[in-house]
Amino acid sequence: MSQTLAPVRATARPPASLRRVFAAAARSEWIKLRTVRSTIWALVLTVVFAIGLGALFTAIEVSRWDHQTLTGLNRFDPLLYSFAGLNLAQLSIGVLGVLVMTSEYSTRTIKLTLGATPQRSVLLAAKVATFSAVVAVVGLASCFAAFWVCQALLAPKHAGLSISDPGVLRAVIGGAVHLMLVGAIAVGLGALIRRTAGAVAVLFAVLLVLPGLVTLLPAPWNNDITKYLPNSAGAAMSAVVRFPNLLSPAGGLIVLCAYTAATMILAAVALTRRDA
Amino acid sequence: MTVISADGQAGGSGGSRPVIEVRHLTKRYGPILAVDDLSFTVAAGQVTGFLGPNGSGKSTTMRMIVGLDAPTAGQVTVDGQSYGQLRFPLRDVGALLDAGAVHPGRTARDHLAWLAASNQIPSGRVDEVLGIVGLAGAARRRAGELSLGMGQRLGIAAALLGDPPVLIFDEPVNGLDPEGILWVRKLLQSLAAEGRTVLVSSHLMSEMALTADHLIIIGRGRLLATGTVAEFIERSEGHHVHAQSPDAAALAGLLRQKGAIVTADGTEGLSVTGMESRDVGIIAAQAGLTLYELATQRASLEDAFMELTHEHGEYRAPTPAPQGTPA
Repeated sequence: MSQTLAPVRATARPPASLRRVFAAAARSEWIKLRTVRSTIWALVLTVVFAIGLGALFTAIEVSRWDHQTLTGLNRFDPLLYSFAGLNLAQLSIGVLGVLVMTSEYSTRTIKLTLGATPQRSVLLAAKVATFSAVVAVVGLASCFAAFWVCQALLAPKHAGLSISDPGVLRAVIGGAVHLMLVGAIAVGLGALIRRTAGAVAVLFAVLLVLPGLVTLLPAPWNNDITKYLPNSAGAAMSAVVRFPNLLSPAGGLIVLCAYTAATMILAAVALTRRDA
Repeated sequence: MTVISADGQAGGSGGSRPVIEVRHLTKRYGPILAVDDLSFTVAAGQVTGFLGPNGSGKSTTMRMIVGLDAPTAGQVTVDGQSYGQLRFPLRDVGALLDAGAVHPGRTARDHLAWLAASNQIPSGRVDEVLGIVGLAGAARRRAGELSLGMGQRLGIAAALLGDPPVLIFDEPVNGLDPEGILWVRKLLQSLAAEGRTVLVSSHLMSEMALTADHLIIIGRGRLLATGTVAEFIERSEGHHVHAQSPDAAALAGLLRQKGAIVTADGTEGLSVTGMESRDVGIIAAQAGLTLYELATQRASLEDAFMELTHEHGEYRAPTPAPQGTPA
């Protein structure tokens, strides 16, 4: 209208690379995560579950130690109880992962998020990457803490393991990776289902209900299928003693990664195709 | 002003170069046709009012402009690009579509901070826009604790964050008190005066008449009229004089001789167009005819808007559109 006023940015900017879009979205997601209280609560709960439950089960085991048979003691996995808490920790991480997406729909901020980053697959990748990084830090911290607390409890019985024992470091890291991948799957479920209740229900059904249902199948199907469920695949990564009903740690990793990849692809397609 | 004929073609934008271009935009949600072959352009340097009754497709159109919903058919570009192609689009297009779209537990500043980070906008800009909208004192308050009006201001701050040359506001005065409404009006006009493209939707013609330079009017997802506000006012306040006389028939004959269009309005009433009330009075006096009522009837802008949208809202295809004065 008026020529005397300053023109509004006439110069064209060179388009930002997708890598820059990803980096900016990831920073934005990090701000989102740390500025709501639910994140703090879910992470505190995760740490409490992982360490507290492992310590509780290990302490019970130690108290019954002298009544155990020799074969029972020989097959004892000193890490099994250390990581007992991961079963619950994966649920709190899962709920938080679901909320990463569904809280955007319930508060309608998804309109702002997708308006700011129309490259929706890049946005999903940034959300998953940021959340996974947070889970990796919290997961590693709680797995290492659970390990040390529980081995200290076992030390009087000379049954404790050292971090340098074969397979131990791998198992501790495996526990954290298990949490990370469950968290990523949860973000994907949130993007697919959009509603917190629905996504949490599906996640819990897969992690808690499905294993129980599969055991009802006739043998050998029940054991063959159970191995490949997300829960068992995750548990395989943090086991030191090889159980017949679990995959190898590498096998567990591959299976859980496959579930994660499949969920991510479906989530990316849904997020890209559907209206916000 | 241009009233749109059945082929749905847009009229001229009336301003400088078109920035937002909507071409044959259609959006279908199942059986509901929310936007129906809509075409218009929005020019820079003026406030363009996007008017229509509730449910006429304004919000859906705006959602398609910023790439939230995909059109069933047609296309929309901002400065020649579709929104989805833009990298860091907040620097190109600022939008307030839903002021309630905030996480209630996040502070006003944090809400803007994540938005700024997503488009690599310097974090100093956050406090700047909070100052512009008058929320500097509420920066640390949680969004859920803000009043409706403050929430609306936060939404406007988010739109201004990237200092964008194009701004889109969906019903920005909702929930604002009269002072706030005046503030939004001045803000929109000053943004346009800086050369920015400003598209603002409303279902109130009276508000748009005060705020906008140019109007785009839709009903049931179809374009009804475009034109400047001045043209619209001129059209709606046409020369329409109401006269009452016991000699209505004789007066009507005289007035028709002088070129007026006269229709009977009751037994002694006349509705006269194309002549000022002053001339009607003089003609009656010269002929010795009694007049006991003489008044200029002004249809309000709101009436004109209601007429336009009602007509096109209720009856679909067969009614031919009224012919307005060309823009």
